[in-house]
Amino acid sequence: MKALIRYSPLLLIAIAWELSSRLGLVSQLALPPLSDVVAAWIEMIKDGELITNGGASIYRALAGLGLAIAIGGVLGIAMAWSKPINVLVAPIVEIFYPLPKSALIPVTVIWLGFGDGSKILLIFLGCMLPVTIGAFNGARSSEQVLVWSARSMGASRLRMLWDVVVPSAMPELLNGIRTALALSFILLVSSELIVAQKGFGYLIGSLGANGTYDAMYAVVLTVAFLGFAADRLYLLITKRTLAWREQNP
Amino acid sequence: MTAPPDGWPEKAARVAVRLFWIGARSLSVIALLVAWEVLAKSGAFTPFQLPALSKVVERIWSDAVSGDLAINTGLTLYRALTGFLICAIGGVVIGMAMARNKIANWFFDPIVSIGFPMPKIAFLPVVILWLGVYDVSKITIIVIDAIFPVIAATVIGIQGVERELIWSARNMGANNRELLRQIILPAALPQILTGMQVSLPLCLIVAVVAEMLMGGYGLGGAMITASRFANSVGVFAGIVEIAVVGYVLVKAMAILRRRLLIWHQEAHDPTTA
Amino acid sequence: MNAPAQILVENVNHMYRPPRGREVLALDQVSLSVANREFVALLGPSGCGKSTLLYLIGGFLPVETGSITVDGKKVTAPGPDRGIVFQHFALFPWKTVRGNILYGLERQGMPKEEREQRAMDFIHLVGLSGFEDSYPSQLSGGMKQRTAIARTLAFDPKILLMDEPFGALDAQTRGLMQAELLRIWQRTPKTVIFVTHDVQEAVYLADRVAVMSARPGRIKTIVDTKFDKNDPDIFKNKFFVEKVDEIWNLVKDEALKAQGKRA
Repeated sequence: MKALIRYSPLLLIAIAWELSSRLGLVSQLALPPLSDVVAAWIEMIKDGELITNGGASIYRALAGLGLAIAIGGVLGIAMAWSKPINVLVAPIVEIFYPLPKSALIPVTVIWLGFGDGSKILLIFLGCMLPVTIGAFNGARSSEQVLVWSARSMGASRLRMLWDVVVPSAMPELLNGIRTALALSFILLVSSELIVAQKGFGYLIGSLGANGTYDAMYAVVLTVAFLGFAADRLYLLITKRTLAWREQNP
Repeated sequence: MTAPPDGWPEKAARVAVRLFWIGARSLSVIALLVAWEVLAKSGAFTPFQLPALSKVVERIWSDAVSGDLAINTGLTLYRALTGFLICAIGGVVIGMAMARNKIANWFFDPIVSIGFPMPKIAFLPVVILWLGVYDVSKITIIVIDAIFPVIAATVIGIQGVERELIWSARNMGANNRELLRQIILPAALPQILTGMQVSLPLCLIVAVVAEMLMGGYGLGGAMITASRFANSVGVFAGIVEIAVVGYVLVKAMAILRRRLLIWHQEAHDPTTA
Repeated sequence: MNAPAQILVENVNHMYRPPRGREVLALDQVSLSVANREFVALLGPSGCGKSTLLYLIGGFLPVETGSITVDGKKVTAPGPDRGIVFQHFALFPWKTVRGNILYGLERQGMPKEEREQRAMDFIHLVGLSGFEDSYPSQLSGGMKQRTAIARTLAFDPKILLMDEPFGALDAQTRGLMQAELLRIWQRTPKTVIFVTHDVQEAVYLADRVAVMSARPGRIKTIVDTKFDKNDPDIFKNKFFVEKVDEIWNLVKDEALKAQGKRA
């Protein structure tokens, strides 16, 4: 019930949308009625257009994000654990931190063309940073006391890494991954809008070019909603993992 | 041990120490640039995949001389900063309304809470549909994307004002208007500035992406044109230019923050985006 | 002798309503009368509602049951006739010491030259000359509290409400500040209501000590503590020690009760 009240403005906006469009208060071309958008959405599901393109997009995002998490996570912890690695890698991280990753879209196209490769590379490069930094900060903050306790109980360095450092690093690492998750959607959509032959972004572009605006709206809303849902789902899953943490994130 | 009198050897020593630290911090940048040039010339990559730093610098220089650099940078900055101004003012106004008015909060909260994790750039085609392919669309999508951090920061900042500060001000006779302007906003300022510091680089990124989609002039437009002509030197030049502009903007904002918050204990800089 | 009370608290209840969880009775039928220029201490264990009572008198919390009147008028809102000093100073961090003290005077509409002069006078009074252009973040705890006191005294409230003002200071600073407050009060006497959980502090500073019970707060007893406080060795003075003992015994049970309730 509370959720209903909390989100009711969205319901009002939806109703306002439908009415203002149907009643001709705004151009029906620029803002097709919500019901038409829903109908177009169902159509695209039925004829598979949304699924094929969606699948391509999700594949790219997962691949890029997966690589970023795997490599970035390991790299970040390695940087916190070993001074020489830190000295080597830290400057590179520092340089790329302020660079807007979307600026790399044309370069990935130059390297890998219009297809999956360039998107996956872009997402990988972009998402590496928040994951690495999260892992690094998290591992660095693993309390000295815990490390010493493990040491005194006879843990080898490797064991200590696994038993103490990694769990301590979790909250920051998971937070970094959350940022990377949102970033992956942004980079995916941006690159697909500009240079792609399939995927959500491409579909939006081609539907727009064809003038089938109700379908275009349908895809835009789908992507926007997926981004939101992914974030919420992620929070739900990670809440369990972080149950042992006393203070709230 | 008292400080020695300031003769020129001491002054020179101080300058040298200063330069040393600036040098040390720039070391990573220099190292990377050197690595770039070496890698490019090594033959591990083709000149197309990784053009030499020297070639890229040449290109940037010729753009500067011809005036193209100024035009493109100026346009992108114009769009990004106009968007930022709207985000800053609009974001604070909406944030203030949300923090102090139950109805405003009820209406905007779900929009902000759902909108935050959305890839709002997906709405760019819709914005173009409504407003055409001109600057107004670019500025609109910038605002849609970058206003959220300002709103959120303003709400948090205002809600976080210590109760006792407000009570003290009322104790001294402040009315509601004075309370808002003289006490609540200054107290919330550190948080609000943090939100703006997150928003500014976002404005730049969205400006560049919008330009890439819509083409034409601007740093993003120039980059996408270069890539369409398979001009990798141009693409790399664009990356460097955007990186520099981004760095300057973030640094400028940090300096502004320090000036405005001279009274703050830490005058801490949040991490650059 | 029997002048009408300046502050009259009659049968006040207060319900504490937390954002989550059940509401709790914080004050139960509290009545208190304070004469003009009296120094009254509210003493009690944590959670007994003494600060709540202070906030009600100050007009920061609404009086729902019972009534509180000051000079015959009901208290409905905060105002410059009842100046408050908080435990954590509540200084405006973006204003200097001078700026903080000027704020109340500006709200009064005092002309510029007059208020600048008055601010400097109070800065001298609390011993902060030379620091008028410093920001709170540059001051020590004791200096911040002196600024807070100067700020409140500057707009000349008839009544001074102090909420454990020395609680955040270290023991040595606290001792110095207590002596200083007494000195200032003896020079410019005002009505003071002083909240504390420190028995010695209460006996030293106050004319009367109102001992409060554990939650829900009631005024358990009021003890007379008016005597010559100017003895330099007052904390060892026999009479002083007896008074402290007497009051401590009254508080002890309540303190234990408060502990039990928290567990």
